[in-house]
Amino acid sequence: MAEQDGTTRGQFLTLSTVGLGAMIGGVIGVPATAYLLAPVTQETTFQPVLLGAIDRFKQEQGFKPTAATYVEDAKQPFTSAGLAWVHYTGQSGTTWDGKDAMFIVFSNRCMHLGCPVDATLTGFGCPCHGGQYNKQGQRIAGPPIRPLDRFQWQLKNSDSELWITERWSVDFNSSGQIQYYKVKGPGQPVTVPWGGSTVSNILYPPVTYNYPAGS
Amino acid sequence: MPIPAPDTKQMVLASEDWIEYRTGFPTLIRKFLFRKVPPTGWFHTLGSSLLTVFILQATTGMLLAMTYDPSPTGAYESIRYITDQQTLGWLLRGMHKWGASMMVILLFLHMGRTFFYGAYKYPREMTWLTGSLIFLSTMAMGLTGYLLVWDQRAYWASVVAVNINGTAPVLGPFIVKFLLGGPVVGAQTISRFYAMHMLLIPGLIGALIFVHMWLVVKLGVTPWPSRPPVPEEAADR
Repeated sequence: MAEQDGTTRGQFLTLSTVGLGAMIGGVIGVPATAYLLAPVTQETTFQPVLLGAIDRFKQEQGFKPTAATYVEDAKQPFTSAGLAWVHYTGQSGTTWDGKDAMFIVFSNRCMHLGCPVDATLTGFGCPCHGGQYNKQGQRIAGPPIRPLDRFQWQLKNSDSELWITERWSVDFNSSGQIQYYKVKGPGQPVTVPWGGSTVSNILYPPVTYNYPAGS
Repeated sequence: MPIPAPDTKQMVLASEDWIEYRTGFPTLIRKFLFRKVPPTGWFHTLGSSLLTVFILQATTGMLLAMTYDPSPTGAYESIRYITDQQTLGWLLRGMHKWGASMMVILLFLHMGRTFFYGAYKYPREMTWLTGSLIFLSTMAMGLTGYLLVWDQRAYWASVVAVNINGTAPVLGPFIVKFLLGGPVVGAQTISRFYAMHMLLIPGLIGALIFVHMWLVVKLGVTPWPSRPPVPEEAADR
């Protein structure tokens, strides 16, 4: 073939084929990837749910938290069921996070890897890998990395029913004050671990949204 | 002189030629099966055992999928139906369950054989790497298959396994939501695991097995490891 300026027919066809192939790949691939990854952006939500009549929880003597099952979404009874441990403090405060709060409502989800904890004489214990918590839900032994989550609660129906309205991840600060954080999964710290080095700040960014908002 | 009627052997050969001209399969099969191999032993049977178990898993899995219902309300009941009601359902489910354990065991033995024979070295690095991918995919099959039974053990074991992924730095929380198909275990989770277990990962393993075996045929079976002959002067000392 004689010397030629510009693109040959072969080059043009190769480019067109590759280009068309890439276009088809994009048309299929982009929506497929978005579809596959969409759940990553979803946030945990919590529907307020009735735990039971408060008389049931006020029977408690000493530390024997009452187990209360709940179903968040009646359409999904198998997957939205949960269990809360309701501890009656003997006090009468009806503000859930007050010093004299009547109840502490613990989540039963172990903060090691999410197994259900059982109430023990000294607090809570997890059957899976032996995590132990005290009566405040703070880890005292085993692999859990933070205290048990707590439920925000409210009395309804002229103070006869106990409802849980929100779920909070918690941690205790250096002066022993409980802090409430936006909920995070088991095994994931809400505050920066290992004394808060720069590296740990990057690897495990702290939860910034907490309760009460801005505090 | 009349042409004699072809005997059976000639007819078979003629049919083979007919296929050969049109597909090339007879040559392909001959090259694949009638290869020169070094002296081999029982340890060299582990790879083909794995292939056999994979075929077993694929076959029984396809049949189980015809009855299985990947939904929170139906999964456990459909498995009970397979086990208690369906003709030979207990057997097929048992084969799939024990086959799964067998596949993992054989995989480790096969990997150990490859390692101790030095079969991962030049020129078989890519065979080792594709094998590693098959290993990871098989582990993923174990994880996704475990949940499908949808009993208490399956549920909590999967919760723990998914949360282990959650402890990874930076990406952890995203991996959890990706696996679960949302922030918590739900109806999405079981169908997601099911689709991964019966479509995505088996397809991947099938493709990887093809490449893996292509490389085995191309590069030949690894002979027993042996030392190079010791030079005389070294032996004298």
